[in-house]
Amino acid sequence: MQELELSEIQGFLVRDYKEMPFSKYFLLQVKAADKAKIFLKSISKKITSVTDKKESSFLNLGFTSAGLAALGLQPNNIQSFIREFREGMVTPHRQRLLGDYDSSDPQNWLWGGPKNEAIHLMLMIFEANEEKMKEHTQQLVEEFYVNGLQQVHILDGETFPDDREHFGFRDSISQPAIVGSGVAGLKLDSIEPGEFVLGYKNEYNVYPDTPLLRENQGNFPMLPNDPDGSGKKDIGRNGTYFVLRQLKEDVDGFWNFLNDKSKNDDGSLNTEESTKLAAKMMGRWPSGAPLVLHPDKDPGGLSDENDFLYTDTDKLGLKCPFGAHTRRANPRDNFEETGPDESLHLTKKHRIMRRVRSYGEKYTASATQHTPVDEVGLLFGCFNADISRQFEFIQYTWANYPKFKQLYADPDPFIGVRENPEPGTVQQFTIPQETHNKYIDGLKSFVTVKGGAYFFFPSLTAVEYLSTL
Amino acid sequence: MGLNERFNQLGTLHYARWFILRDDSFRDKTAFPLPERLVFSSNFDGPVDEHIAGLVTVFPEYFDELYECCEDYPEPANRNTETRKSYLEKWKVNTTAFYVGAPGRSLKQIKQEDQLREYIRSIINQNKWDGKSAIEIQKQLREKVDADPEFAWAKSPEATASINWPGMILMSLVILILSPVIIIWILIVHFFYERRDTNCYDKRSQLNDDLVRRLETDEDLFNQNQFTQVLVMKPGKVRLITVQALMLFARTLIGNFFVKGKLMGIPTIHFARWVLIDNNKHMMFFSNFDGSWNQYLCDFIDKSGWGLTAIFSNTKNFPKTNFVFTGGAYDEEHFLAWSRGTQILTQVWYCAYHHLSIKNIVNNTLIRNELRKNLSEKQAQLFLKRF
Repeated sequence: MQELELSEIQGFLVRDYKEMPFSKYFLLQVKAADKAKIFLKSISKKITSVTDKKESSFLNLGFTSAGLAALGLQPNNIQSFIREFREGMVTPHRQRLLGDYDSSDPQNWLWGGPKNEAIHLMLMIFEANEEKMKEHTQQLVEEFYVNGLQQVHILDGETFPDDREHFGFRDSISQPAIVGSGVAGLKLDSIEPGEFVLGYKNEYNVYPDTPLLRENQGNFPMLPNDPDGSGKKDIGRNGTYFVLRQLKEDVDGFWNFLNDKSKNDDGSLNTEESTKLAAKMMGRWPSGAPLVLHPDKDPGGLSDENDFLYTDTDKLGLKCPFGAHTRRANPRDNFEETGPDESLHLTKKHRIMRRVRSYGEKYTASATQHTPVDEVGLLFGCFNADISRQFEFIQYTWANYPKFKQLYADPDPFIGVRENPEPGTVQQFTIPQETHNKYIDGLKSFVTVKGGAYFFFPSLTAVEYLSTL
Repeated sequence: MGLNERFNQLGTLHYARWFILRDDSFRDKTAFPLPERLVFSSNFDGPVDEHIAGLVTVFPEYFDELYECCEDYPEPANRNTETRKSYLEKWKVNTTAFYVGAPGRSLKQIKQEDQLREYIRSIINQNKWDGKSAIEIQKQLREKVDADPEFAWAKSPEATASINWPGMILMSLVILILSPVIIIWILIVHFFYERRDTNCYDKRSQLNDDLVRRLETDEDLFNQNQFTQVLVMKPGKVRLITVQALMLFARTLIGNFFVKGKLMGIPTIHFARWVLIDNNKHMMFFSNFDGSWNQYLCDFIDKSGWGLTAIFSNTKNFPKTNFVFTGGAYDEEHFLAWSRGTQILTQVWYCAYHHLSIKNIVNNTLIRNELRKNLSEKQAQLFLKRF
């Protein structure tokens, strides 16, 4: 087992901070690098690490590539970061991979898009109650002002009631457990640290691509050396990459669609069928109970059941359709057509550490109640070491690509449907049944991207190093 | 008429590409200075001379315009179907190894079988089938299809290739008998060649951004993508014999074993081709595949790393290998960087069926054939899950 330097790693990667239900993400722009570096130096002492024993006011910090440049990191040092991070979430090719079209087009984003102000860094704070959040916010806002940091956008995130997102489903049940991080997990979820933290070996047993200083600058001796032995200084060690996307959920549209597709012959509402269809699309019931263990009805309550596989229990998709969101995003032992053991191993190369919070009205929808007053949605976040092989792979190859497994025209019903597909394009959801398949035709998009960016979350030492540039 | 329409008009062309090959297309120093060349590669039905005749008939002006700048192309006064054909014949290069995802299926068959699948799917979806068994449903579907003259062709099943087990056993025996020689050969390659290799230690972040962006500009526009790679062979007889032997091995496996839509376990490749050119000094690799570059390359490593390592380690600057079959592709980061770094731009690319994955094509033929069969209830249920 690889020994992790946990006191160097930012805490949000390993801990979900559920004990801090209130959170604020400040998206900031550096207006005066000198002052910002003074701020960085002082804040670097306050960053919550994995081992931090602090009981409130958790704080974590990430940088965009433009942010590193604004702080004065030399262009050829920035060049050693992975290209996905350097280019950011908005490029023509990435738009295709991520499926950000129509209403989700970056041109329409509230932040992070080409029409929005540049984001340089993101400061995330987490608090136990609103009072503390107010105090902390006030104090930070003053510090931003004094230190030449302009607030570009602020995102308020909260944990969900019973961990259920607005469509009504219990979320974040299945998560990877980083080997050596102190978080225990199922065997199928235990993943080598190099999939999430730079400087350690990944599931291929090699070191992930880490940014090395090509040109020494700042107080570089404080940085560790390249684990591959090149002799260069490594800014990446104990750091990770964070993907953030603000996803608006059209709760009303979603349930109206399902209610319509599952109505009785006389046109009346069939709540049971509608909920079942929703569960088929999700792969879990609203309670979180997985379909492969509870195929017929929701056992109710709240479920964290996660110890299940697909091959032996549901090879034909009769319980959980192949196109269901959770079966696509984590196919477990049923990856494409490979055998169960190999599948489990392959799936481990495409996992992300999800860190999701909700925004907008506290509202849990169902077939009979689905009209929140405010805009609601989630702040989707995830950590990974290789954005292209993890987040982007899952979003494109597993969610958006309609030919997933043996399917013909089935995008992920939650996050893969195109709002305005090319004329003639079929978007369907296939439900395998005992005798013949059932098809839900004319899928609609109920999730809209409102903003997004890729961030580098350095080690605590590397944050301090950035203040010495 | 646009290029796509012309290609469609041929009616026998699955995929095609044109690209420009120059000295600087190769990431390594070429074996000798190369003239600038225009390369055409296609996947088609029927004999090659018919294909060539089709190309020059459907495209005469286009061909002239394109090939006019090439050496030896007939002078304007001399241009006719025959001279154009013999020009193409003259410059034809032999393929060293070639893989077909759906062997034996013509373009016409692929299109027809997809229409059949769509037709049956719509019938399934329009009916309630309450209380009907899968056998009864299959029977009714067959009757519907039979009643439609448009699907008269579907009445006869189409044979598909099956694994040639006797051939595979024979191959295994030959390998077993030759194993002492093979082992000694591998040791020689390891101790006298691999240890002296210079290897690729690049990471993806260090690649030329402009090149990668230009490649990405043409990617993920459809369900399929293409890959064109050009490589310089390592010098010497030992490497050449190694690669020739592996190509023979690959051809044998492709012809007898990989006939069900998977190449070394990879279920997304429509066509793949290896070509040794310039007196075996350079290698070209082309493929047409489903999904993203990233998925394709992950499949390479995860499913067929040993095979690719063995073949491509005979080209210069491949990531470090050990005993021909290990290391190399399994060195994930460096292998990905090597793959992207040796890929070149393809100026023209054509695909006849953007809406079909190779899995779809293989499945459609199974649908056509199983529709005809007397299936058990269980088999009929599986048949109905193919839609």
